[in-house]
Amino acid sequence: MFSLPLLISEDIAAMDAAMGEFVFNSGSRLVLFIDGGGFIVTRQGDCGNIDTATLGALAANSFAATQAIAKLIEDDTVTSLYQQGNETSLLILSVGEFGFLAVVFPAAIGVGSVKFYAEEMVSRVKRQLRDAHDRAPTQGLDLSALNLADATPLFRRRAAP
Amino acid sequence: MALINQATKEIQLKIVYYGPPQGGKTSNLEKVHAEVEAAPEAKGKLTSLATNSDRTLFFDFLPLETAVIRGFKTKFQLFTVPGQVIYNTTRQLVLRGVDGLVFVADSQYDKMEENVHTFANMIQNLETLNQNIANIPYVLQYNKRDLPDVAPVDYLDFLLNNRDVQVPSFASSAVKGEGVFETLNMITRMLLHKLLTESGRKAA
Repeated sequence: MFSLPLLISEDIAAMDAAMGEFVFNSGSRLVLFIDGGGFIVTRQGDCGNIDTATLGALAANSFAATQAIAKLIEDDTVTSLYQQGNETSLLILSVGEFGFLAVVFPAAIGVGSVKFYAEEMVSRVKRQLRDAHDRAPTQGLDLSALNLADATPLFRRRAAP
Repeated sequence: MALINQATKEIQLKIVYYGPPQGGKTSNLEKVHAEVEAAPEAKGKLTSLATNSDRTLFFDFLPLETAVIRGFKTKFQLFTVPGQVIYNTTRQLVLRGVDGLVFVADSQYDKMEENVHTFANMIQNLETLNQNIANIPYVLQYNKRDLPDVAPVDYLDFLLNNRDVQVPSFASSAVKGEGVFETLNMITRMLLHKLLTESGRKAA
């Protein structure tokens, strides 16, 4: 089963536009769209020194653990996860079965304000992914099956003749 | 670190199954969960946090309880780690507080490099947590022995069981359940022996 529909450049551009507007309007630092396996699909904002690959993997772990807890307490739906910091906070928003958006923002900005602006971004991203899915319903991507972070198969020394 | 609760007379020990991606770590826990002979209250639910393609995302977790020893109820917490490169930080989180390790190696010839790298990664992650592999009981499981193109056990021992002290190793086919309980019984025995030895030393 695929974690993502097949995405074309127009899909990424539309998601980038929604995410870029959100970063501008909300004053957030960074927003990442991450698939269910923790792989980053696209991002907008300033990464700075943040290790976004690890952030994506850990955010996926947290969300999966939270969803498991939700099942234990008999509520299957987790729509968001909020981590409050002293300087920087993190809000993870579910985009249905496609993955989630991780928003890094200054702690001085209230999470309510970020959630307010995020509503439209989530709606637009979800709609774009739904359109991509409907375009090719039987095809898709599973980034965890591709094991993208493992670079060892990319270049190999040619075997001696 | 083993948790000993004097009030409830319980000992908790954490065993982590480590190994390369798709080597059989999850299959081990699935087989234990499906086939272990235990009272319903002694066998917990197998919790698997996985991706859509059933690859471990965070961990698999299976709690098991054994018969009372020296007046204590012993609870084993079995964990697996995700094998893929991107989840290295996650592996460090799961390794925290580990008492015993099962390294599940993939016996196929073309997986040897991955086995060695993952073993080195395990040692590195333990060092990050200020732990030394020499102080943690561990066993080796050479899995997928049922497949056609597998390396001899001697070769796997040469690659992976070549430290100053050799550890027990087991040939297995986790999907068939072969070698799974032998591996688990050995690591639990090693853990209990260490616990009893240390508690005896402290009492003295």
